[in-house]
Amino acid sequence: MTERTNDMTAVDAAHGTAQALAQGARFIALFVETGSTGAQSVTYVLDEARKLSRRTGTLTAAALPSLKVPAAGWAEREARDRFGLRFDRDVGARLIPPLDAEALLASASPEVSSVLYGPIRSGIVESAQWVVQTVGEDFVHVAPSMFYKRRGVEERFVGCTLDDGAFVAEFCSGATALSHACAYARAVETATGSEVPLRARAARSMLVEFERIHQHLDALAKLAEDGSLLVGSMQLFAAKERVHRLLAESTGSRFGRGVVKPGGLRADAFASLAEVCVRLLDEVEAQTRSVVEALFASQSLLDRLIGTGRLTPKNVVAFGGVGPVARGSGVRCDARAIDGALFTSLTGDEVLEEGTDAAARALVRRTEIRDSFRLIRNALDAAPSGAWCADVPDVDGCGIARVESPQGELVYAVRVLGGRLPCVRLRSASYANWPLFQTTLPGNIFTDFSFIDHSFGLLQAEVDR
Amino acid sequence: MNGWILRGLRGGILTTRYPQEVPSMPSLYRGRVLALEASPEAQNQGASACLTGAIAPGPAIAAIDERRCFQCGECVRRAPEAFAMRNDIEVAQPAKLLPTGCRFGRSIHVRHVDAGSDASCEQELAAIFNPYYDANRLGVFLTASPRRADILLVTGVVAEPMKEPLQRVYAAMPLPKRVVAVGTAACSGGLFAHSACVAGPVDTVLPVDVYLPGAPPPPLAILYAILLAAGRLQPSEVGR
Repeated sequence: MTERTNDMTAVDAAHGTAQALAQGARFIALFVETGSTGAQSVTYVLDEARKLSRRTGTLTAAALPSLKVPAAGWAEREARDRFGLRFDRDVGARLIPPLDAEALLASASPEVSSVLYGPIRSGIVESAQWVVQTVGEDFVHVAPSMFYKRRGVEERFVGCTLDDGAFVAEFCSGATALSHACAYARAVETATGSEVPLRARAARSMLVEFERIHQHLDALAKLAEDGSLLVGSMQLFAAKERVHRLLAESTGSRFGRGVVKPGGLRADAFASLAEVCVRLLDEVEAQTRSVVEALFASQSLLDRLIGTGRLTPKNVVAFGGVGPVARGSGVRCDARAIDGALFTSLTGDEVLEEGTDAAARALVRRTEIRDSFRLIRNALDAAPSGAWCADVPDVDGCGIARVESPQGELVYAVRVLGGRLPCVRLRSASYANWPLFQTTLPGNIFTDFSFIDHSFGLLQAEVDR
Repeated sequence: MNGWILRGLRGGILTTRYPQEVPSMPSLYRGRVLALEASPEAQNQGASACLTGAIAPGPAIAAIDERRCFQCGECVRRAPEAFAMRNDIEVAQPAKLLPTGCRFGRSIHVRHVDAGSDASCEQELAAIFNPYYDANRLGVFLTASPRRADILLVTGVVAEPMKEPLQRVYAAMPLPKRVVAVGTAACSGGLFAHSACVAGPVDTVLPVDVYLPGAPPPPLAILYAILLAAGRLQPSEVGR
């Protein structure tokens, strides 16, 4: 979404986007804006030379040229299924709502064994489905069939006040509520030209880094559990619990909900964080680092992860992968190192691993946990004083912003009109990364599935939304 | 492996003694909103801030529908004379008085289904098995099969495509069985109660025995809800 000052049509925007992609830009999102008469305009969001760029065009009767790149595959299918957009080619099977079992299995050949895995699976997991085709132990083909739990989050924003919108963003993905609230707030602040006080930025930065720590610990604990390292898994879950308790003491919510809003914060979270960190941070950090290091000294688990679920850098680039998943294959994409820094940026020391496998993705998380504690201490030491919230100017506009969530780059686009939200769109890191998942499976065996799944560490809620 | 066990031993016992002892939550923790006697104006001010319509102003005191409340705290911020936040943990409510006794007197096997959650309920649910809470010590076990399940824990508002899978899981469970709606979205739909994408809260699809509001409910609140559903605990008074 952007101001429609020019007369660009959606077709022009698509052509411009295709040209930029050919010159090496990374596809991020295709956002469709609706009005009273249905879909009205489209906005292509790209990363060009590590800057967010966008091309907006008004929809006409003409079919949109498909971008024909894997990264835009889901975005185009979703635009067709949710908003009725027409493309100049068949962009693929229906994405939303999910196809029924018969339609999914119809494409399977009789030589291979096809299993529908999901949407309800064993254990405590989010609902999603895969069509898994195997010959003996080996994967032949795995196709996701998701969007079983779409609740209409983007639709729920419509008509909300700017402050209330932050609560809706938190419900998009409760496990990473802070990243979502921050990305939403930054988009609104961009749209309205708000200045956020330093104290609020420092608190947001600390909160998002705590969120990164608990989500990375969650992913590592599940990997340890997959590898039957149950004692290690429990100790990692205990480390995660300590972070939730720290957040509960300082924000009133174990996931830091209800703190961030456009313009700053709902309460002086910096003061409460500083007070709680004085008491707890040293201990939480020491215990977290010690258990994470013990995990990476467990050779039996590492052996299981090395070589499992290889993800080629070529595929990461083609599918526009982000987050620890991309960095585990050596692809730079940390929004904190560029324009997505909430307080202090990473200044170029993005964590990269070259292993391309589940072990590499786990190693990225290990180093990022260490860096997150460092960023938290940077913000604590800076201790900016003054206001923790500023008024959001009552102006209309559009804004796009991104935040590095634990799963990777999270992008929000908002339109603000008369202090309300007529349209909000988002592209989560999990949405960008799921299509990559299936590229890692051929060559692996059935029992590798959960290792690869947990090495990706994605959330279904922010995909289905 | 030996290293891990030694590490664990050095760490000492982390596990809570709940339900024998109820640990107190941090004073800032937002567990439950309490209505106070206040003027209608103050009550209205709080009610107008509520995104889920959980507050119904009354002559002297507002009625709060806890199943709709997601503890954002906006009513308390806008009208502190009419509403207060409490750090309560035992916030689950039985749908009706459940029979107590030995029907689930020994081990309790629980099955989880995500019907449309925001991903945080799952992580809190998984946390009841971490060393701080250790649900196994209370005889609570997670089962992968509905055939062995006594209690079904449903998270999230029921998204339309999840309605049928959820019904099939319930049908596959043997009697006697209980259903716990875990989280405000499961109890009432929360923010998504009127969404065109959802079938409705869990009780529009299955008979719910225990409602557990929270966004998300913390592990102790989940343990309480499970013990309540199993008839091991009686509903507690506010502020036990």
